[in-house]
Amino acid sequence: MKRLALLVALCTATTAQAAQDTAGLVRYVACPVYRDTDAGRKSGCWLADDRETGKRWDVTESPYKPDWNFAVLVEGRPSANTAQPCGAPALDPVRTSRLDIPCTRHMIPAEGFPGRRYTLPRRNIAPLSVARPVPPGPYAERVFPVYFEFDKDFLVYQYDDWLIDNAVTWIRAAKPKKLVVTGFAATVPEKVSGLELAERPEAAQERAETIAETMRRLVPGLKIETKWEVAAKPTDEPDADGLPWQSQRRAEMRAVF
Amino acid sequence: MVRRAHMACDCALKSAIEPMRKGKRLMHLLPQKSFALPLAALVLALSVGARGGDVPDRWWAPGEGRVLPAVLDYDNANGTLRMLAVGGPLKTAGHPFFEPLGKDGRACVTCHQPSDAMSLSVDSVRRQWDRTNGKDPLFAAYDGSNCPTLPQDKRESHSLLLDRGLIRIERPWPAKSFNGNPVKPDFTIEVVRDPNGCNSGPTYGPEAGKISVYRRPRPVANMKYLLAVGFPFDPKQGYALPLDPEDGKPQSGNLMADNRAGSLRIQMEDAATTHLQMLKALSPAERKQLQDFELRVYTAMQVSKTGGAVDSGGAVAGPARLRDSEPGALGSIGEPVWSEFKGWEKIPADEAAKLTPEQLAMRQSIARGARVFREKMFLITDSAGINSRVGFGNPVRNSCVFCHNMSQMGNDVAPGQVDLGTTTLPFADPWDDLPLFRVTCTGRPHPHYGKVIYTYDPGFALTSGKCADVGKITLQSLRGLSARAPYFSNGLAKDLRGVVDYYERRYSIGYTEQEKQDLINLMGVL
Repeated sequence: MKRLALLVALCTATTAQAAQDTAGLVRYVACPVYRDTDAGRKSGCWLADDRETGKRWDVTESPYKPDWNFAVLVEGRPSANTAQPCGAPALDPVRTSRLDIPCTRHMIPAEGFPGRRYTLPRRNIAPLSVARPVPPGPYAERVFPVYFEFDKDFLVYQYDDWLIDNAVTWIRAAKPKKLVVTGFAATVPEKVSGLELAERPEAAQERAETIAETMRRLVPGLKIETKWEVAAKPTDEPDADGLPWQSQRRAEMRAVF
Repeated sequence: MVRRAHMACDCALKSAIEPMRKGKRLMHLLPQKSFALPLAALVLALSVGARGGDVPDRWWAPGEGRVLPAVLDYDNANGTLRMLAVGGPLKTAGHPFFEPLGKDGRACVTCHQPSDAMSLSVDSVRRQWDRTNGKDPLFAAYDGSNCPTLPQDKRESHSLLLDRGLIRIERPWPAKSFNGNPVKPDFTIEVVRDPNGCNSGPTYGPEAGKISVYRRPRPVANMKYLLAVGFPFDPKQGYALPLDPEDGKPQSGNLMADNRAGSLRIQMEDAATTHLQMLKALSPAERKQLQDFELRVYTAMQVSKTGGAVDSGGAVAGPARLRDSEPGALGSIGEPVWSEFKGWEKIPADEAAKLTPEQLAMRQSIARGARVFREKMFLITDSAGINSRVGFGNPVRNSCVFCHNMSQMGNDVAPGQVDLGTTTLPFADPWDDLPLFRVTCTGRPHPHYGKVIYTYDPGFALTSGKCADVGKITLQSLRGLSARAPYFSNGLAKDLRGVVDYYERRYSIGYTEQEKQDLINLMGVL
């Protein structure tokens, strides 16, 4: 019992530490720069300059890429890979969220940098014609998180669809009594690059309803409840890739038996 | 498969032999030159209906009671279009696709002509106007004229149909529901210009609860591809695909320009009450007949006028391939789009020696066109459905197959609502004969156009009620293009060169003249 309590305490401490540890991470707002590299489809580079540090980062690996007309919120960790195919050190993992702040569009030439040849991201779903392996039981209550851009409820392609597809495969096999979908929003303001950023409280409800609607379509007949919470706290779920801000912007699907 | 082929051959042969008995020249029914066709393909190439003599006119009028053969060929400027009816010949007498069902005397076939790849070319429209002095049911006041309020006996009252092949589409305003969910539009719409009178006055226009837009009829063929679902999500909308309320299966979202009908049932009911002016609902038996027919029809170019049969000399294109292939495959992870022409990329010397220089050059050009289509990269910018909200980024480097990505068909595996700018300023050409609307977003601005948008046709936004969807038009199949000019939903491009030129203008692609011609030659034989 003592051992279990110690383990729980350790886990809690580790979780809290991991969730709140932002050491080594970067977070800033910038107007994106498109470097026109050409290594085939989807091979252009996205760069963003951190005004406070004066550093330019390669943010191309974000699952949701920038729009050259709008500022982006950049969140990421400097990559261990020192290669610079886009002409700047890379953040990886990295997230970029489009903000409603207009930018002057800026494109620079490749200048000899090759860019990256496109490869399918790790989180991509198979066509429907490919049978999903049935996850083994026994099945018990389980939570599936899904993550979003800043202040948005839009399912991120080759990220959220993969998370949901995995969840649906499990849910179809496990047949829970109901699904409780809780939307979270990071509504506590934080100062980033001189801007006070906070998600709208409504984003929490929008996320819950978006996921609920998608799950109604994917698992017809499943009973679904929606809830929402503001002032979201970070988690250390692996699919947030160790980015605490990403983990705050989520919806959770709790399968209840 | 063998049985199907035999049935097709039987019909084609019989149809071809009949004129011989009447003393007609069989050679007239054959391709103009010998292209070393395999015997089966040669037999299949014999056909009826399109080439003069005593054979029926190429225009299928409602209620004629013809038999639709299993194989039906029609010539056009680029070669021969072939239509296949799976399951053998069809008696059209009494069939709801071919019989006039409503008060205006039209049938489905009126706007979905076999010679026009089951769409409607502007050449056919003009020909029918001239043949009937404008009395054909095609020119019905409801939607075959610019507006029912105009004098119907004047050519100018039908100018949009005669000049651009456009049919009036009346949409309710405000949009009320999409996929079964209530919709409260996040934009207002005002009429800036109403050259035809169908968007103003007591009866028409947003204030009267109706919006008139003008669109090309979409082909009713190769339907299994348009209904195919490759993945469970719509990445452009950020949801799982909606389900058909009837069978519970996900909907492809690729049927109609504005995606207002997610299933064939909804599409045919919409068409019956509007285009056919049917006063009662389609019966279950009629719906079943229509659906059965629409799923049996395949059409594509079979013969290039210069290059020969598209299923010869190593190429494997044509309608039979469409009929026999699995739909819904993504070209980037399976069979590359238009790789049917790979066999013409490197034609062995002994094969080349059998061809005329023109044939050889055309085959090589078509094969190059397929490569250009897949491999010529350019920056796609400010196009909703691509650059927003999916997350590909704005801009994103890719080629034509980014969107035209389904093997064999070139439509979008995902629901294909994309804004190329063909209907919306500043990208659309300045046309003074189309209505112009001012859309004002009341919530978030449009991701690329901003708060205020000027458009000839809001497209998908008239269905979804979302400002972000203004200007989005569903991509369609690229099959049978040679038979159904003009192109794009509003007939913006009068020919295939116009299609290439539009993309060049829109995205500054930098095609060479050779690449443009190769693309045109490719599209001409799809």
